[in-house]
Amino acid sequence: MKTDVYIAGDCVFSPLGIGSHLNFERLIDGESALVPIKNPDLSDHQLHAARIDDAQWKGKIRNSPYYTRLESLFIRTIEALLQAHSIPPDERTLVLLSTTKGNISLLHSPHTSFHGDRVYLPEMGKQIQNYFGFSHRPLVISNACISGALALAVARQLLQYNDGYDHAIVVGGDELSRFIVSGFEAFQALSNERCRPFDRDRNGLNLGEAIAAAYLTKKPADGAVRILSSASFNDANHISGPSRTGEGLYRSIREALRLAGNPPIDFISAHGTATVYNDEMEAIALDRCGLSEVPIHSLKAYYGHTLGASGLLESVLGIHSLRANRLIPSLGFEHPGTTRPLRPIATPVERPLRTFLKTASGFGGCNIALIFEKV
Amino acid sequence: MESLYIQSFCTLRNGTIRLNGEPIYGTSENTPVDDFLRSAYRQLHVDYPKFHKMDVLCKATFLATELMARDAGPYPTDTALIFANRSSSYSSDEKHATGIYATQNPGASPATFVYTLPNIAMGEISIRHQLHSENVFFIFDSYLPEFLVPYTATALYDKQVREGLCGWTEVTATLCDVLMYRVGRSGSMAHTVTNLKRLYNDHE
Amino acid sequence: MSELTQELKARIISQLNLEDLTVEDLDDNTPLFGDGLGLDSIDALELIVMLDKSYGIKLSDPKEGRKVFETVQTMADFIEANRK
Repeated sequence: MKTDVYIAGDCVFSPLGIGSHLNFERLIDGESALVPIKNPDLSDHQLHAARIDDAQWKGKIRNSPYYTRLESLFIRTIEALLQAHSIPPDERTLVLLSTTKGNISLLHSPHTSFHGDRVYLPEMGKQIQNYFGFSHRPLVISNACISGALALAVARQLLQYNDGYDHAIVVGGDELSRFIVSGFEAFQALSNERCRPFDRDRNGLNLGEAIAAAYLTKKPADGAVRILSSASFNDANHISGPSRTGEGLYRSIREALRLAGNPPIDFISAHGTATVYNDEMEAIALDRCGLSEVPIHSLKAYYGHTLGASGLLESVLGIHSLRANRLIPSLGFEHPGTTRPLRPIATPVERPLRTFLKTASGFGGCNIALIFEKV
Repeated sequence: MESLYIQSFCTLRNGTIRLNGEPIYGTSENTPVDDFLRSAYRQLHVDYPKFHKMDVLCKATFLATELMARDAGPYPTDTALIFANRSSSYSSDEKHATGIYATQNPGASPATFVYTLPNIAMGEISIRHQLHSENVFFIFDSYLPEFLVPYTATALYDKQVREGLCGWTEVTATLCDVLMYRVGRSGSMAHTVTNLKRLYNDHE
Repeated sequence: MSELTQELKARIISQLNLEDLTVEDLDDNTPLFGDGLGLDSIDALELIVMLDKSYGIKLSDPKEGRKVFETVQTMADFIEANRK
């Protein structure tokens, strides 16, 4: 029998603040981290985006000038997680980092003082390892926008099949940069107002930054949530557009449900980027799985699309929703806008919650579905 | 857990492509990576026009995958893809960054930006071979079979998948260091750390 | 073939990496998307960038784009009408 794996702790560092409980409360209050941003370092145009303020992290870690901005954000978040849960950074603890572009803001940037080598993701991993004295080099996963959720799945598999590890720390994040913003602008994928996942008038995504961390164990503790199942399938259709039939996501959800023993699902935390195509594809995939009646949200109108953090960030908030028995509304939704019906959550109602489905999709045609269960 | 075997392997390095250890295409070691890959595409009679849109990481992994398909047959649709490298999508990252910070006519090309993610290489392969399967892209300092071999074995076992397509796929504008292989339940070479280290270090 | 369509074809082939295609192969009225040349959504975005960079025309409405990019001829007509 494979051992069960639980999420026993977590931490979120977002523009709304540091602390997952704090972030959860802010979402319930309807607060969004998205604001108009005019920053020539990021873009020649005004953006609607979510950025972590310098005051929230500058000078708040040891030897802070030595670390890049993104490393500082990661370190701050991991530090908070380790302190909250007294996690020993020893050889029985796995560390996984999820990021799409890491320190890419250093590449050819006119403003950087860091060595070019720092752009390489293993270098970032080394810095974080050295700060905490982790026994093992962090495993780095870079798999587009499913990275955060995928890192949870990979960590779970490693814990299940490795007696040598007791726990895992999974951390995901990306920072806003001209590199990333200019690319999404070239894709005409951005909305210049707060995004509207699943809405009839949705017209693109917002970018955001956040770091999310989860502490995985093989022993349930108070408030632990079991990772019940995970499944991931590629669309095999197009490298940047989702399959029109949602094939890869459909297979991922279907398989995750099957592996979990087809439990009733209390809510869905969707990818919901608010692009015309993504949301439509998700609605189709969910409908094909018979889940169109399940309360659903996307958190992208609170945080923006946080790329390497998103799958993990949104899972963590979903876990808090489970623990609090309180649904998080799908901010930004007003009028149905998909050809298959969905049930976006309108108000933060309280009700008994036991399981939720997290979905994510990314460039390269990748998809993933995770099911979480409250113990 | 069933034993796994390396069914086919392909290396691309120093201007030479080897399939199961035998050289099947070569240019001079100094040939730029993109030229090497483009001429290999022609000489090996690969017919896939989208190849020309790909960046060097995608071209190299695409070719290796294609050659192993010719060698050992089509891939089952659930063939898991497990790749790793050090530089992620560096060649495209460079291209994009150079473009946006150019002093004359700065700008971003969507066709370049789409390749600034390493897992796009797995997407291209999935499309070509119609693989609806798991993709994981790891980033390591150097090839790490000590992690990847057991990881691959458990991934295949856990998901009850018959085959995997794995590799160290380090490709930049100036360096092509690729070892890719097919792993499955039958074959003559055991899927072990020792064997993969030997295949990787065999620079002949 | 006018000078503009000739130039457009060369730009399209080079910008979109259509290596196996020559200017002679590309007909003025071949559909660029769907059946025909089979270009995709990324190609469409690249053509938008090209219109801006090479002809100074900014196109931000994707629906307009679909009509403009139907064939080389429709592109040439649009450029003649709108170029700066």
